[in-house]
Amino acid sequence: MATMHRVVQSSVSTSDATTTSYGGLTSCKAADIVISDQFPAGLRVLVVDDDITCLKILEQMLHRCRYHVTTCPQAKVALNLLRERKGCFDVILSDVYMPDMDGYKLLEHVGLEMDLPVIMMSADGSTRAVMKGIRHGACDYLIKPIREEELKNIWQHVVRKKWNENKELEHSGSLDDTDQHKRGHDDAEYGSSANDATDTSLKPLKKRSNSKEGDNGEIDNDDPSTSKKPRVVWSVELHQQFVSAVNQLGIDKAVPKRILELMNVPGLTRENVASHLQKFRLYLKRISGVAQQGGIANPLCGPVEAKVKIGSLGSFNIQPLAASGQIPPQTLAALHAELLGRPAGNLVVAMDQSALLQATPHGPKCIQVDHGVAFIQDLVKSESSSSKHFSQSFAPVEDVASGFRSWPSNNIDTAGPSNSGGLSTQNGNMLIDLLQQQQQLQKPQQRSTVSELRRSINVQPSCHVVPSQSSASFQAGNSPVSVTQNGSYSRTAVIDYNFLSSQSNCPSLNIGQVSDVTLQTTGVLSGYIPLASVSPSVSSCSVNADNCASQQVQTSSITFKASRRLPGFVHSTSNIPDPYGSTKSGDLLNQEPFNNLGYINKGTCLPAKFAVDEFQSHLSSSSHGKVFCENIGTRVKQEPSMEFGDNAKVGIPMLQQFPPNDLMSVFTE
Amino acid sequence: MLGLAADRLRADMNRLLSFLFHQGILDEQFLQLQQLQDETSPNFVSEVVNIYFHESEKLLRNLRSLLMDREFSDYNKMGIHLNQFMGSSSSIGAKRIRNVCLAFRAASDQNNRAGCLSALEVLEHEYCFLKNKLHELFQIQQQRVLAAGVRYPMQH
Repeated sequence: MATMHRVVQSSVSTSDATTTSYGGLTSCKAADIVISDQFPAGLRVLVVDDDITCLKILEQMLHRCRYHVTTCPQAKVALNLLRERKGCFDVILSDVYMPDMDGYKLLEHVGLEMDLPVIMMSADGSTRAVMKGIRHGACDYLIKPIREEELKNIWQHVVRKKWNENKELEHSGSLDDTDQHKRGHDDAEYGSSANDATDTSLKPLKKRSNSKEGDNGEIDNDDPSTSKKPRVVWSVELHQQFVSAVNQLGIDKAVPKRILELMNVPGLTRENVASHLQKFRLYLKRISGVAQQGGIANPLCGPVEAKVKIGSLGSFNIQPLAASGQIPPQTLAALHAELLGRPAGNLVVAMDQSALLQATPHGPKCIQVDHGVAFIQDLVKSESSSSKHFSQSFAPVEDVASGFRSWPSNNIDTAGPSNSGGLSTQNGNMLIDLLQQQQQLQKPQQRSTVSELRRSINVQPSCHVVPSQSSASFQAGNSPVSVTQNGSYSRTAVIDYNFLSSQSNCPSLNIGQVSDVTLQTTGVLSGYIPLASVSPSVSSCSVNADNCASQQVQTSSITFKASRRLPGFVHSTSNIPDPYGSTKSGDLLNQEPFNNLGYINKGTCLPAKFAVDEFQSHLSSSSHGKVFCENIGTRVKQEPSMEFGDNAKVGIPMLQQFPPNDLMSVFTE
Repeated sequence: MLGLAADRLRADMNRLLSFLFHQGILDEQFLQLQQLQDETSPNFVSEVVNIYFHESEKLLRNLRSLLMDREFSDYNKMGIHLNQFMGSSSSIGAKRIRNVCLAFRAASDQNNRAGCLSALEVLEHEYCFLKNKLHELFQIQQQRVLAAGVRYPMQH
């Protein structure tokens, strides 16, 4: 996929993948898919084959592809290795016939426990054998002798898997199969290896049909043969419950805890609700802008009856929505054009463009129960769009939050608001997707972080960054320099997050070490959605960063923190030399639009609560933020240092909810 | 003089390689193997091939002992050995050996013990032949390295 490889004019130094030693992983692999043409270098591959000859040859070939290779002649040892080092591998290459364990068994174990893409290999290329591999859930089946060209493309399985998981996560039971099929086919387009055609089209479909278990699934389980991760699927009913709970409480007072109590749904966690609430708020902001354009809402009058249902671009439920006559004609036209012309992902562009175009600073904030369905669809849309527009991450700086409708209009460069907005949303969506996928990959204990990630993701950082590469995945206890480059998207952002939060003793987190350059980079990205920005920042860091891996780590960590705290950064980053070419002047941060943003009123109480719960616990230290703040302050325009020094509450809520008033106050101070 | 030797050696090597390719003993996978050799792994080909020899001899011994067994009936087990042998042979580009393995596998699928035995013999023969030729090739390469390494004393 050529689109995946964007050349970024950054001085990324890439280091060739080395074998085995994780600690030695270097550099700047930053290679995000989008950011640099270094991707997919650094993809962490585990090769399992009892045939030493093949093992050695594959190892060498994978080295040539600049992947990070670990070889293992015994399946049992490999499985233990996987269990020990969860999150340390992106893809597994396994032989089918092995003496100590059948390759299919290994495949099942991996699918159950780690849910990593597994590629089977064998000298036996009979259809029967290949079919068996597919049935057991292999991502691909390579026939020996394996050529280097085949290995070059194995990264696609990592990407595809992440995207699929992300889509499934957001997939509500209300979506019909056509949507799934379409996405499945879209995924199939990415396949390029010989055996891919069957695999890719079958696998996503199979996965989807498995995940669509029941509409009221609160916690849905995937097909056991592939994954056992519980996921909360926000079905229509569930969402209705959620919306009614929110209405009951009042959008200003709707705290995840209380919502959860009101909903009284077993198995639902506060984090689920919190992240969903975040998305919902952003969704409302977005549609209120569209509603206004359609003349439906009167933003200045407080709660508005915004019945606009923004058709979910991701799904193909435009018809009913269109029929309802509530979609602004422009939006509808754009949607149709997109639907017909391009894959779902593009729809977001159209959609967001029109929405953004029409967006005014005075978006009404009104919670409507009947937004529920549209909201879900919106989520789906964002998911699918994000997966499609991987490469377009560049306009984003401004975009940070799609929730800020006004932002796009401000931040958009000469191309015009619509473009940027659309792009940014796309990027943001992509990021969200990726990040959410990452979340899915994370262990349950990281749930809270994940939910936070998800929350922040919804903000839709326009950052292109594809989390995968940049986010040097941190390994517990590793030295600061050991930034593991991994090709996996999802992991990086989440891992960063966890790393930051859980490993406060990690020296790499010392912001002080970050150089100005990296800080700058961070600053640029910090404006992006909190969690989502992690990946972008990481990637951007890698882009701008020097070779020093530690810098990247720090940068990413810093970015991470920064992103949390300074929503305003999004704008300010513009003046920083942006590797992606977006040039936002400092005035991006147009405070005016924020005046009316946010149904959150003054947005003080709610965000604070919100922030405290989620972020405080995850921040390794407020001092980090402080340090970061100061650094950023020097770099980024309009970055009041007090912001950081201030309690995270201020920053976090702002990021999440983007209450206009808070933002204003940020800059006025 | 050494310069001439180097040329001669190179000619020998090319001749041998073209012979092997022409006869179908080796295929382009071997070329891939050679391409994988670079400064970071200068002896890659010989290392891999030596591993191959080592493993193959084990496999061939296993196959023979299985087939020679009077009460032989475990075609599955034989199939596993065979599969590995085929995989490694094809990975280094030993085309002829791989083809014989295919025939061997066909006989094994039909539980044709006699066919398996004859296939095994052909396999052993082919393997010995390949081993000799590859040893020869490595020898030439070694000599080339030596020849290139010789330095004439500079006369000022």
